[in-house]
Amino acid sequence: MSDEPKVRAVGEGRIVNSAFGLLAWIVGLVFFFPVFWMVLNSFKSEQDANTSPKLFFHPTLDRYRDVTKSTTGLLSFADAFANSAVVVLLSTAIVMALAIPAAYALAIRPVAKWRDVLFFFISTKFLPVVASILPIWILARNLHLLNTRQSLIILYTAINLPLAVWMLRSFFREVPRELIEAAEIDGASLRGQLTSIILPIAAPGIAATALLCVIFAWNEFFYAVQLNPVKGSTVPIWVTTNISTRGDFLAKLSAASVLACIPVVLAGWIAQKRMIRGLAMGAIK
Amino acid sequence: MTSVRYDRATRTYEGTSTPAVDALDLDIGDGELLVLVGPSGSGKSTALRMLAGLEPLDSGAIYIGDRDVSNVRPRERDIAMVFQNYALYPQLSVAENMGFALKQAKVPKPERSQRVREVARILDLEPFLNRKPKQLSGGQRQRVAMGRAIVRRPAVYLMDEPLSNLDAKLRVQTRTEVVELQARLGVTTVYVTHDQVEAMTMGDRVAVLRDGVLQQCDAPRTLYHEPANLFVAGFIGSPAMNLVAVGDERPLRLGDAQLELGRPSDKAPLDAAGAMTVGFRPEALQVGDGPLRAQIRTVEDLGSEVFVHLAVDHRGEPLPLVSKMQPPFDGQPGQSVGLQIAGTTHVFAPDGSRVASTTATLQPGAAPAPVTADSPGSAL
Amino acid sequence: MNATTLRRPLPRYALSESWRRRLPLLPALLFTIALTQVPFVMSIYYSLTDWHVVPPGPREFVGLDNYNKLFSDHFFGQAVWTSVKLTVVPVLGSLVLGAAFALLLDRRFFGRGIVRTLLITPFLLMPVVVGLIWKNQMFDTLYGVLNWGIDKLGFTPVEWVSRYPTWSIALVLIWQWTPFMMLILLAGLQSMPSDVIEAAKVDGATPWGIFRQLTLSHLRPYMELGILLGTIYLIQVYDLIAVMTGGGPGSTNVPYFVFQRSIGGGWEFGRASSYSIVVVLASIVIATVALRVLSNLLKGEEAA
Repeated sequence: MSDEPKVRAVGEGRIVNSAFGLLAWIVGLVFFFPVFWMVLNSFKSEQDANTSPKLFFHPTLDRYRDVTKSTTGLLSFADAFANSAVVVLLSTAIVMALAIPAAYALAIRPVAKWRDVLFFFISTKFLPVVASILPIWILARNLHLLNTRQSLIILYTAINLPLAVWMLRSFFREVPRELIEAAEIDGASLRGQLTSIILPIAAPGIAATALLCVIFAWNEFFYAVQLNPVKGSTVPIWVTTNISTRGDFLAKLSAASVLACIPVVLAGWIAQKRMIRGLAMGAIK
Repeated sequence: MTSVRYDRATRTYEGTSTPAVDALDLDIGDGELLVLVGPSGSGKSTALRMLAGLEPLDSGAIYIGDRDVSNVRPRERDIAMVFQNYALYPQLSVAENMGFALKQAKVPKPERSQRVREVARILDLEPFLNRKPKQLSGGQRQRVAMGRAIVRRPAVYLMDEPLSNLDAKLRVQTRTEVVELQARLGVTTVYVTHDQVEAMTMGDRVAVLRDGVLQQCDAPRTLYHEPANLFVAGFIGSPAMNLVAVGDERPLRLGDAQLELGRPSDKAPLDAAGAMTVGFRPEALQVGDGPLRAQIRTVEDLGSEVFVHLAVDHRGEPLPLVSKMQPPFDGQPGQSVGLQIAGTTHVFAPDGSRVASTTATLQPGAAPAPVTADSPGSAL
Repeated sequence: MNATTLRRPLPRYALSESWRRRLPLLPALLFTIALTQVPFVMSIYYSLTDWHVVPPGPREFVGLDNYNKLFSDHFFGQAVWTSVKLTVVPVLGSLVLGAAFALLLDRRFFGRGIVRTLLITPFLLMPVVVGLIWKNQMFDTLYGVLNWGIDKLGFTPVEWVSRYPTWSIALVLIWQWTPFMMLILLAGLQSMPSDVIEAAKVDGATPWGIFRQLTLSHLRPYMELGILLGTIYLIQVYDLIAVMTGGGPGSTNVPYFVFQRSIGGGWEFGRASSYSIVVVLASIVIATVALRVLSNLLKGEEAA
């Protein structure tokens, strides 16, 4: 499946194409504007940011310094970032470790009731996160997991696992049947088949799935705020500490937002082609 | 020294009522190249996959050597398979592809590379050992697929239409190479194809399958000259045998001519009742001034031989016939000619089985025969 | 292409084989069951009790009492209505907009990759960031960008969030989820076989005709997927509401309502649980119905 748009037949007119191209650019810029403005604001002084919108100003890095300095007693960016990084990377790693064999069992050598299993996984997302918080909070408290990174790692794994299983299964089904059969005849065990054949071929899909898990886990707010009031707080929580009821804060908030979002935005930008391929293959089977 | 035996092996897919392979009995000798041939849906690929262990048996058994492998996993059957689409591991090099099974079996690296190189030499793959499959042409990939099987030195080779994806010329060339290679290696081989020409030129014996049922398993020559039934007669040979429904009137009539059979060479006499079918190959039909009037429809001049497509008015319907003539041939489309039979004619009973094979000639008919009450059904 | 794309399972050898197949699935399955079914069952149990947590009270079993009260709970009804608005509008809005963007991006033009990069960014941002930025930067009554523009055009500024909470949030949701729909539909557009389109063009079909007959029906599964996934995620929106309006009329959907009634200050775990269970059931129904309706709609178009 190529990434290229359809070649237009003769007679379609380059003017038409250019007109649509221009329209696309305008649409893109307008749609992106809030993000652009946010980045701009992050380099302004509070006064500049909070008066009528200005395009020209003296840029400064002060806001970034403000939000990243550590004040005792308050959550620091460094701490929040470390917490988020650990939680997101570990939970994604666990998700992949669990989902890859599961996807194998659903795609390559299907168990009898694979459709039911697949539906079960997706149905677990029907219970609102907001509802399950009560039992989970109680369980976490009893297991002394409140206020730790572990609780988030476990929960993020649980919320991303259904999506990962679903997508990975579709990617594995893309591996040609005959390759699996050839490997089977050649004596490869399950591990051998996975490592030598399936993973290399499905690598782009695996990357897309992992990326999606990282995005959802990094941006997750509700569980983080309910289960980790003090230690172990993640970046989304840190962002909300940059609002204040007195005084102006928009520039600071903008700087904090930029810092918070950069990792995932960069990752998404770099991997967007894979994500498109991933979403296409990953879901439609 | 490994033979292969199918013992009433049966496989029925879930949700279907007719078996894909129905009580298949086949005895394949050690070192033999046996071809499984048939139209699509005949069960030939399924039968091969049953031998590979990729399809389970619903009843019956399969033996490799003396061992009943019906419930043994593919990797423990000591077989190697060449797939139609080659199934080469795309991210491994040619050398790694060929050595993959050996690596899984934990064969030490020096021995592995040595065996791979040896086979690469036989197959002319040495310059490509470090390339990936996508950098190779179709013919080269096909050889890698074969090489991967050969390196393993298995008891049995399984080949599932390995030449189907090659262009025609390459296919003919590779055919010979495969036959020579197999003879040289002396390993029992089961080979599946839908192309009866391939089957006839390659197999020590050929097993013809139809709808899961074995029709006949014999040497190619036997299949050609002594087909067991109507299906085999019509399937083997290109262009196909001329098959004519002659009803049950006696004497037998073809168009406006009378068909006289010489002494039957075997089996029951011709008083067998019922609607018979006679068959004769294109080379047995001569175009000239024979008693059977026909019209030329097209002439295919291949240089070495000429195939003449004719139409005969038989029992009120136009009957297509093919004749193979030696060049030069001067007939033109639309021309009226006379046909004569000069070769073996087979007679098939209503159930399709062959009841007689004999020489025959056409004599001028007395009067046009009335069309009988039995409608001339097409050949079974 | 691949002759063996019939998904035949590899054969089984004795009973142990089927267990060998199940084994790789078990870790993920057991993990998910433990972490989702246990809370679910606990929620069901709580929903059958009357349980005030602050001030601490006993947990009494009251059967279906909570469910009975639920149907006459005026506020719950409002929350449901708000949920409907905050799900249907963003799903459809982002689907339509996403489709438009995908169609624009499906052509070759200068800088196409850059435009695509710009368009997917909203989806990559943290929802809390999105909410805070839109509230303070775009929607702000005095200093917001939107009102600055409106003022320059001569109209009176709008108090977006305070006067139109539902539409404000819906707008932000559309902005956030359009890239998601766009990516899915773009994948669909790029997987369309070009030979069918070329044949249609040779046969004299108009661009609009091609779009209606060929493109739309090819995109159907992709749209269904977008709607399914979008609904699943959008029903549960919490972050935006928390940071933009903190609840309040017009912006309290059911998840936020449940939150308010439980750990958000109400501390009635029993009744809150009953609301959640209702949401689960409703989600299943909605997803099924929506898919069926859309299927039939497009089937009708195909036949036409």
